[in-house]
Amino acid sequence: MSMRLGRRLLGAAIAVVAALSLAVPAVAQPKIKIGVIFDLTGPLAGGGSELHYLGVKIMVDHFIKQGGVEGYQIEAIYADAQSKPDVAINEAVRLIEQEKVDMVMGFFSSAQCVPVAARVEQLKKFMFITTCISSAVLENRNLKYVFRAQPSGSQFGELSMDFVAQNAKEKLGKDAKDVRVAIIHEDGAYGVDVAKGNEAGAKKAGFNLVLKEGYSATAPDLSALVTKLKRARPDVIFHTGYNPDITLFHRQARENGLKFSALIGHGAGYGVYAKLKEGLGKDVDYIYNVDPISIWSTNQKALDPKLPPLIQMVGEEYDKAKPGTTIRSAHVGMSASNSYVFFTEVLPRSIKKYGGVDADALRKAALEVDLPEGGTMLGFGVKFAGDDSPVAGQNLRASPVITQYIDDKSYVVWPKSQAQREAVLEFPAGTTYSPK
Amino acid sequence: MFEFFDVYLLEAVISGILLGGVLALIALGLNLIFGVIDVVWICYAELIMIGMYGLYYFYSVYGLPMWIAAPACIALVAVLGLLLHYIVIQPLLDAAPINQLLATGGVLFFLQSFATVAFGIDFRNLGIRLPVLAIGEMHFSFARLLAFLAALAGMVVIYLFMTRTYIGTAIRAISQDRQIMVLMGVDTKRLYLVTSALGGALAGLAACLLVLQYDVHPFVGLSFGPITFLIVVLGGLGNFIGGFVAAFVFAEIISLGGLYSDLEWGYVLAFAFFILMMFARPQGLLARRS
Repeated sequence: MSMRLGRRLLGAAIAVVAALSLAVPAVAQPKIKIGVIFDLTGPLAGGGSELHYLGVKIMVDHFIKQGGVEGYQIEAIYADAQSKPDVAINEAVRLIEQEKVDMVMGFFSSAQCVPVAARVEQLKKFMFITTCISSAVLENRNLKYVFRAQPSGSQFGELSMDFVAQNAKEKLGKDAKDVRVAIIHEDGAYGVDVAKGNEAGAKKAGFNLVLKEGYSATAPDLSALVTKLKRARPDVIFHTGYNPDITLFHRQARENGLKFSALIGHGAGYGVYAKLKEGLGKDVDYIYNVDPISIWSTNQKALDPKLPPLIQMVGEEYDKAKPGTTIRSAHVGMSASNSYVFFTEVLPRSIKKYGGVDADALRKAALEVDLPEGGTMLGFGVKFAGDDSPVAGQNLRASPVITQYIDDKSYVVWPKSQAQREAVLEFPAGTTYSPK
Repeated sequence: MFEFFDVYLLEAVISGILLGGVLALIALGLNLIFGVIDVVWICYAELIMIGMYGLYYFYSVYGLPMWIAAPACIALVAVLGLLLHYIVIQPLLDAAPINQLLATGGVLFFLQSFATVAFGIDFRNLGIRLPVLAIGEMHFSFARLLAFLAALAGMVVIYLFMTRTYIGTAIRAISQDRQIMVLMGVDTKRLYLVTSALGGALAGLAACLLVLQYDVHPFVGLSFGPITFLIVVLGGLGNFIGGFVAAFVFAEIISLGGLYSDLEWGYVLAFAFFILMMFARPQGLLARRS
């Protein structure tokens, strides 16, 4: 009897709970939909874009696992730009108009960034650039809704020239006017912008600029360029390219007997050490790369204390996704760090202070970000330029560093304040490219 | 001696000849297919890409010695060529040329996507460093020299095959009149398959030589496909010797134009020359005026 009564009571209780749950309307958790666009196919995918996608994905998954940000669920919709600017534009528009995303994020290629930024601005949506560096994306365009945490391409170009200028006398034994420099670059927005910075830097340093030339990243032959370089006899080559043009250039430089004292690459293909090593073998030793610092090389004591565990988490997820990596590519850390800035600085402020995730709220929140040096995994701080600046939306505190590859390790060598070892400016005598 | 002449000019001329060898080798197979079957394999460079992956896997992943890996790669692409004809071209032999073109264009995208899914987007490299040929201040790529010699040898072998063998004669006869050969008891289907396998084998040979100079990735065909197509058209579709000459003319314009102006101007000049020739000699460089 008592058992029957108990069952009845239990049944009644379940019925009451069920009825109550039906009576109280469920409050849906608000959500921010983010369109993430990188190149997952086409030549740019292997040239670094897929690694940047991985960096953003690691960070998006991290915040999804944490249950979102300030009560907002996070939903990411990933799209493939297929290494084509037209596809990047179409995908951005599709995500905004059909998938109804609140904002777009990512973008590897500057050639895509420039037109996509204009289109997204037209549609009055928020765009957060984690990767592409061309100054042309933001300079004198007065965009309201486009923000970039990365340093700009001209900074890359000027830094590498400054590095050689400061070391020429001591390590090349030459006055600036006697240092012969050559600037070669892929002819897209990215290469052109870095080369512009290189040229300005060379002029400032007083170098003898013996050759400046662009080429198509898909050119099947660069031997005419190599022959011209042989005739121009540069001491230092400043190169900006994607891949596989970088490995093609180095292969043809070796085969055509080009000699030079040093080569400084600027991001993209030069940031993917494993592929450089596979293509160039030992010739990769002593080559430089300009990029934001690898998050695994930053001085963690100088960082905000909450960042080192995150750096470790990103590294672990990277290793899971790409087992057997010799040197973790800085690319992954770069986009992980830059997207982290969005999820911890822009998004929460937008929700809490400006009441939502529409483009204007996100924009106001972005303009208030004020992180000092050490405030990001990449070491630099964040302060976006406002409307009164010719580079509105650019992170004014971002800066790259110069690393050098030696014996399967990557060392920061410039600026001196972050250097992990002295730079070996000239290729040692007897190595493939050394004139000695 | 002229003032503008220097050792670098000579190096650029010879580099142009070697680049011409690479382009001529690729154009050879495409010309053979068009000359006989009257169909343009737009996806020809993608067959080469699959061949490059084939050699990479045979040699670098499975560790086969090169003397086995290279013939295996050539055989693999020959079979692919055969399958391409059997599955895609044969049902469309009597269709409008635009349909045939679209079909092989579809195969191009299929092969690119297949390679992306099957092999990933990473750039692959055999890791072979061939020696460099140095003559004074001039240096030349041994890999390019090999490709140049292979193009010459391929040209001679194809010529001998077409002129001195029964099958070659039958193939030439078919290219002249497809309908009448059937009435004379020739098995055209079989001959088309032989030609397709031969075209595929030439793509395989090109793959073996290109993989020594370029990284392999699913889109490597984009670097060669369009330029090869232009060369074949410039030489006169189906004209082996015309294609051969056009490859060297094109390569020299690129090489010398790039030396005396910006590298990109070399390509601009080459394409401008192509457009001019299309007006002046639309049947191709070596075509006789009719």
